[in-house]
Amino acid sequence: MADSTEKNRKKQKRTKAKAVESTFLSKTRKPEKKGKRKGRDNDQRKRRGGGPRLPNVLRQELGLDAKRNSSSDSDSEGGEDVRDFYELDEEVAQEESGKNRRFDEVENYQYELPDDFEDEEVPSDEGEDDSDKSEGEDQRDKEDGERHLRMLQDITGIPKEAFDGEKKKREEVLLSQADVRSEIVTIHDLLAPLQGMPGYSSLRKRVLQQEKQPMTLQAPLPKSERDKVQRKVSDKFARKEITKWEGVVKRNREAPTLFFEQDQNLGYSTVGAIASGFEPRTEFEKQMAQLRQDPELVEAYKNDGAKMLELNKVSVKDVIDRQNRLAKMRSLLFRHEMKAKRIKKIKSKTYHKIKKKERQKAASAELEMNPEAAKQQAIKQEQKRAEERLTLKHKNSSKWAKRILKRGLDVQDDATRAAIAEQLQKHEELKRKMNSMNNNESSTDEESSDDDDEEEDESKRALKALNKAKEKTAKVLEEGDEAPKKGLFALPFMERGLKKRQEEAYEEARQALEDYDATLNQLQDEGEEGEEETQQNSSAVKMTGKRTFGPAKKPVAQEYNKRKRLDDFGKDSDSEEEDGEFDEPVPQIIEDKNDKTEGVQLGTALLDEEQVMAQHAIFRNLDDMEKAVGPKTSYEVAIFAGDSFRKVRSDSGHSNKATTSSVIHTSKPSHETKETDQSYETDSDTEMVEGFLTTNLITDQKPDYELPSQAELVRRVFAGDDVAAEFERDKLETLNEENPEPEKPALVPGWGQWTHVQKKKGLPDWMVREHEEKKRKRGEALKKRKDAKFDHVIISETINRKAEKLMATSLPFPFTSKEAYEGNMRMPIGPDFNPASALSALNRPEIIKKPGLIIQPIEYEEVDPDETHDQPKRIIQGAKPKQSSKEKSKKGKLSNKLVPKTLGKKVKST
Amino acid sequence: MGEKEESNEPQSLNPASNQEEGILDKLEKKAKKYLRGNKTNLKNLRDKKLKGQLEVREKIYGNTAKVAARAEEWLKPSEEGLLEPENPLERTYRIQQSSILPEVDVLSVSKAFDMKLPDLGPYTIRYLSNGRYMLLGGQKGHLAMIDVLKMDCIKEFQVKERVRDVVFLQNDQLFAVAQKKFTYVYNRHGTEIHCLKDNQHPLKLEYLEKHFLLVGTNNFSQLHYQDISTGQVVANYRTGLGPTSVMSSNPYNSIISLGHSGGKLTMWKPTSGKPLITMLCHHGPITAVAYHPSGNLVATAGMDKKVKIWDLRKFESIHSIPGHAQTLDFSQKGLLALANGSRIQVWRDKGDQDFGLYMTHSIPKGYQVGTVKFRPYEDVLGLGHSMGFSSILIPGSGEPNFDSWVANPYETSKQRSKKEVRALLDKLPPESIMLDPGSIGMVRERQRKEKLTKREIEQQMVEAVVEVKSNVEIKNKTKGRNKPSKRAKRKQEEVFNAKKPFLEKQRETKEGPPQKKRRVLLEVAEDLPKSLQRFAKKKPM
Repeated sequence: MADSTEKNRKKQKRTKAKAVESTFLSKTRKPEKKGKRKGRDNDQRKRRGGGPRLPNVLRQELGLDAKRNSSSDSDSEGGEDVRDFYELDEEVAQEESGKNRRFDEVENYQYELPDDFEDEEVPSDEGEDDSDKSEGEDQRDKEDGERHLRMLQDITGIPKEAFDGEKKKREEVLLSQADVRSEIVTIHDLLAPLQGMPGYSSLRKRVLQQEKQPMTLQAPLPKSERDKVQRKVSDKFARKEITKWEGVVKRNREAPTLFFEQDQNLGYSTVGAIASGFEPRTEFEKQMAQLRQDPELVEAYKNDGAKMLELNKVSVKDVIDRQNRLAKMRSLLFRHEMKAKRIKKIKSKTYHKIKKKERQKAASAELEMNPEAAKQQAIKQEQKRAEERLTLKHKNSSKWAKRILKRGLDVQDDATRAAIAEQLQKHEELKRKMNSMNNNESSTDEESSDDDDEEEDESKRALKALNKAKEKTAKVLEEGDEAPKKGLFALPFMERGLKKRQEEAYEEARQALEDYDATLNQLQDEGEEGEEETQQNSSAVKMTGKRTFGPAKKPVAQEYNKRKRLDDFGKDSDSEEEDGEFDEPVPQIIEDKNDKTEGVQLGTALLDEEQVMAQHAIFRNLDDMEKAVGPKTSYEVAIFAGDSFRKVRSDSGHSNKATTSSVIHTSKPSHETKETDQSYETDSDTEMVEGFLTTNLITDQKPDYELPSQAELVRRVFAGDDVAAEFERDKLETLNEENPEPEKPALVPGWGQWTHVQKKKGLPDWMVREHEEKKRKRGEALKKRKDAKFDHVIISETINRKAEKLMATSLPFPFTSKEAYEGNMRMPIGPDFNPASALSALNRPEIIKKPGLIIQPIEYEEVDPDETHDQPKRIIQGAKPKQSSKEKSKKGKLSNKLVPKTLGKKVKST
Repeated sequence: MGEKEESNEPQSLNPASNQEEGILDKLEKKAKKYLRGNKTNLKNLRDKKLKGQLEVREKIYGNTAKVAARAEEWLKPSEEGLLEPENPLERTYRIQQSSILPEVDVLSVSKAFDMKLPDLGPYTIRYLSNGRYMLLGGQKGHLAMIDVLKMDCIKEFQVKERVRDVVFLQNDQLFAVAQKKFTYVYNRHGTEIHCLKDNQHPLKLEYLEKHFLLVGTNNFSQLHYQDISTGQVVANYRTGLGPTSVMSSNPYNSIISLGHSGGKLTMWKPTSGKPLITMLCHHGPITAVAYHPSGNLVATAGMDKKVKIWDLRKFESIHSIPGHAQTLDFSQKGLLALANGSRIQVWRDKGDQDFGLYMTHSIPKGYQVGTVKFRPYEDVLGLGHSMGFSSILIPGSGEPNFDSWVANPYETSKQRSKKEVRALLDKLPPESIMLDPGSIGMVRERQRKEKLTKREIEQQMVEAVVEVKSNVEIKNKTKGRNKPSKRAKRKQEEVFNAKKPFLEKQRETKEGPPQKKRRVLLEVAEDLPKSLQRFAKKKPM
């Protein structure tokens, strides 16, 4: 066996180099197959010194050693020498070419031969090409071709017709002459002497079967593709390895604070915990333990407990009810389980066998028909191969295999050895580069054909078995349809789960039934069985009427949803209407408010308060004065006084031109200034600046006066001051200062244009445009001012350079939006503004540890990905998992597996 | 006619669950106050990490607010007790001091008193921020410091000069007096510590606690800021609006407001020579200004027979009280006292900024009230008038719970000195006085004139290029000028043209004048005769 493994290794090397697959499979199988040729094997070993040459080996095995004496013998030996040399060269060349092929894979595939390639033996590995070539050449070449074909056949277990259609015929001819020409030995020749021996029939059957099956070799995937697959698989593994840390790292990153603490496990904390770990050691203790576990005592204790239970006063009826319910549930559960099991496990071997065959057949057919599927299959196999190569799962790496190898294979019994061999074979199988898919089939066929010895009644039996299986499945299907309507299974989620499972099972069974039908039909076509069974089948099929659950409810729900949505819509519209209704009164209220404020300002609506004032007579002096003067005279005086005052002012010459001078001519009762306010707000900015002027002009046109109210009279008393006008002027000034008015475009003679043109046309266009633009900009700026809405307020907009240093010039690092930053800054975190108990949370550092504590490297642990990590995390280092934590980890199997025992660490969340 | 201490808790007998809910609601309301604004909207944040961090932060803030709200229950056990009418027809302003005094406790009774000082009046008064000490300044030079808690005169002396205003500095140890010519600083023993000669002929004084600034107006219509910890004159601005003795400081942002004869109210900060805000409040000269402790409301009294209350957020008068007022003051709990002649009124916010008359009081006829000041942490209103000083009880005016970290009426000398050191360490620079102190630490908006960074220029360039590319329209031309290559070239040109200004800008930011090189060259050439200098090659150095 050791020898064989060595061989395997060598073979492996070779197969890698030459891209020829499937040699060693047959090789490893050989010792089992043809154990009687051991004597020759020794010979072969001697000859194989230079390195195992496949064709050579095969030839020897095929019984060509008899010919070795003849002319071909020396030839072959000479050939062998040459081959040895060649082999070396060839290997290098192949490797090099392999490298080259990396760069042009399209033109030069591995399975193609280089043009200058000439060899009689080596290309025989490559198959058809060579055999085609050899057809036109001399006899020896032909023979070589034949040998090659045979070899292929033997290796792959596929008849050579598969390799070449033309060859097939010729071979048949050759077959008939097999005994005449000893050089051409077919498998049948080899079989002939075995006739009559036990197992002969099965062997022959197999051979025949193999001959029947057509075979096409799949082209191996291009290297790039293979590499891709390889990468994919290895990436998966690597990713798995890496991503397992993600949870831990994420949690640690997201925790606002990490506490690092040394474990200070002081052991058991309670008496109960100590007692639970107690084991009797001394004689006395053991006796006591025995007493405690004495069944009689326990029984007595229990009885006592029962009494105590009685004292608990649960009504008998309740208990019985409960028991009944539980029993019912249990039985329901049990029955359901059984049913599910039955559906899941149809144990009919024949059924499985047939199904498997079916599957394979379909697969192979598809492979032939569909290049896409073939590719898929190839990729799949490649993936499996890569995985196997990565994990070496079957390469005696298991504990069991290691142990056996350690003991020595020779010591083991046959079964173990076989098992080991099988595993190895599986490994090889998986690891081997893809060529033929039919190898596996052959082995399964072996098994299957081993079972039934007689071929004649096979079809009959198959039919019978099929029918039986079909009936069974049909029955199961029928049964499975009943859904329990009561008890635990009536719960909605249980129902759902049940349905799902049932559907799965049902689907499976139905598939099986269909399969049966298909196979049955096939068989019936082939054979000539009675029609009774088919009738039965059809009846069975009819019986499996499909009941529908599930979807019937859906439309109702949908309808409900729809209706609800409709309702919502209606509601929305309703609410909109309501909104509309609500909207209307709002302005009224606002108006009311306006009225109020006006009233307040005018001081007319506050009569009662006035009365109060009068009662107390605090504010008498001015009132008295007013009364003494009398309304009419005072009004006239006020008018006169105001006008004269203004005139004086205008004479004194405010150089503010037309605007101010027009102001001067106006007297401004309060309501009229209100009007100006409105225009101020609504009109555009240019008007806003001059709004003062225009509105006042309007007021001038109002000739009729009404008797002024008390408040107005007071205003008139101070009319001489004309505070408001002054304020307006001030405001205008500040506005002009902060947003200076653009200079009027002026013509400088001789600049910009030809003189006569200039004179004629007036200002050039660009000047006017520029001026307009400036004006517009100023207007906009004025509009944007904070005090644009208020006529009684001036808000300075000069920028304070000194205060700028107290503000941030740009957003500090982690922040991306001003809003978020300012929101975060709004809260003071100092001790003056916050209660002491909340203060520590507000400004806790990111990492808290005691001085001197060494932070250990991060350790792996399971982290629930859905957990939010906004709590401070306590990491306790060097903690040994307590009893309770062990129990917990038992529940979570994964965590127990993944956490190494030595690195046990417990993390508490606080 | 009775009086009753108001309690906010519902009087009716509610079921327990209802009460609990009420408590929870209350707690939530309180917590909201401590959250200091709305939760940040994190939905638009794309950065997941930041989002997570901020979410955690918000959670902590929420917890903190809740803890603070819960702590309030213990830290602020009592509520102000206001006068409450028993029936709707009853008016609280009809309740006289004489009917209040028999009802209250002995301690409180002792707080209402009169001091007759007929010779050296009229008096101005000022309380220390913790409400323990009071300064009396008689116009004719009488100064007195009184411990109003113990009713003990600490120091009384004569400066024999006109006294216009008095103000406490950081604590009871020092106080400033605006005298005839200069401002003087005395200590509590009456020793003159400083004579501040920078501010001549002072009219009115104000002290900004957190900034250690003494603010004064003078006869030359100037506004004068002086740092009393360093003695430095921080600012001295001409208001240009005439001399005024109407001044008040906003407790929220330390902005100084001046009332002027033109009916204007101006607001100042030490770092700006122009008023931040000018408001036309009255149609006559302004006689008094007072700020609500929240800083949002300001009350002004004018000669136009109106007292107006303004909301500074809307710049709108929310209430107007007819009548004159020589002096105004807001209490800690938002009661507004105004005095005219010998009559005093107290107005109260009944909720939703609806002010109503709360109490009235009158001192004997002929007395002219010069100053009204609420005593902090007590339900006492002090009146400085022409015949001395009197204090009356105004229930619900003072803050019932004092914070010993802020102002402790019972502080020991040790605590006082510690607090002084602390306050000095926490002293705010004068720049931090601004309309919206909340903007400190926030991102300032970029000014137009500031230079753009390289990256921004690039970004703008990319935007411009994209725009050009999308908008470029190339005319069809004839005679071989419409080849694809030519079209492409034209397109490229367009793009380049769009890029050009930005590239120039970038170059400007990069390049400095190449003078240095030239100078080196000249140095080398100096040895040669002038005619040959231009052939001189620069040696490799």
